[in-house]
Amino acid sequence: MRNDVRERRAAKGLSQADLAQRLDVSRQTINSIETDRYTPSLPLAIAIARFFGAGVEEIFHADHS
Amino acid sequence: MQTTARTSRKYLATPIFSVLMGVVYLVALSVAGEPVYGVLALAVMVGFSGALLLARRRSETVKGLLDHRDERISAIDLRATAITALAMIVVILVAFVVQIARGQSGWPYSMLGFVGGVSYIAAVICLRIRG
Repeated sequence: MRNDVRERRAAKGLSQADLAQRLDVSRQTINSIETDRYTPSLPLAIAIARFFGAGVEEIFHADHS
Repeated sequence: MQTTARTSRKYLATPIFSVLMGVVYLVALSVAGEPVYGVLALAVMVGFSGALLLARRRSETVKGLLDHRDERISAIDLRATAITALAMIVVILVAFVVQIARGQSGWPYSMLGFVGGVSYIAAVICLRIRG
């Protein structure tokens, strides 16, 4: 599943470690999400979306769509 | 404050369990008349616990494995546990087959297989009920 986390994080001027701290996950997890190697759970996806002030579907994109 | 205290207890669970197991080894080996090996076993377990706590400061993975707060590392932990269980099942099955082929009873591998099978079925039922 593709996502815009890296672009949105960079736009806010945050490092992966900063975002990880805000979301209470590891930096590795943020990196894995940004590189599409890990699809977050629904609660984490919602937390990410809320952090960026967007809807989940605006940040995460199903490959078939 | 409550959250911090809860987190502290959580990451200490594995080190504390390891030390407690060391104490159990000490008692068991002392009962068996080998107190020196018992002290050695306890020292190994205390060392392991200390190494875990030190590694937690340097490694996000170890921290995640001890804290269980990062969902990705928790998922990795779960999958690693499943792979470990699969390896144990293979070992138990092979050992059981070798034993019965030699005309032996298959003990204790038959019992280990039984416990494993029952645990799996019970877990599936419980998890299914929980949804």
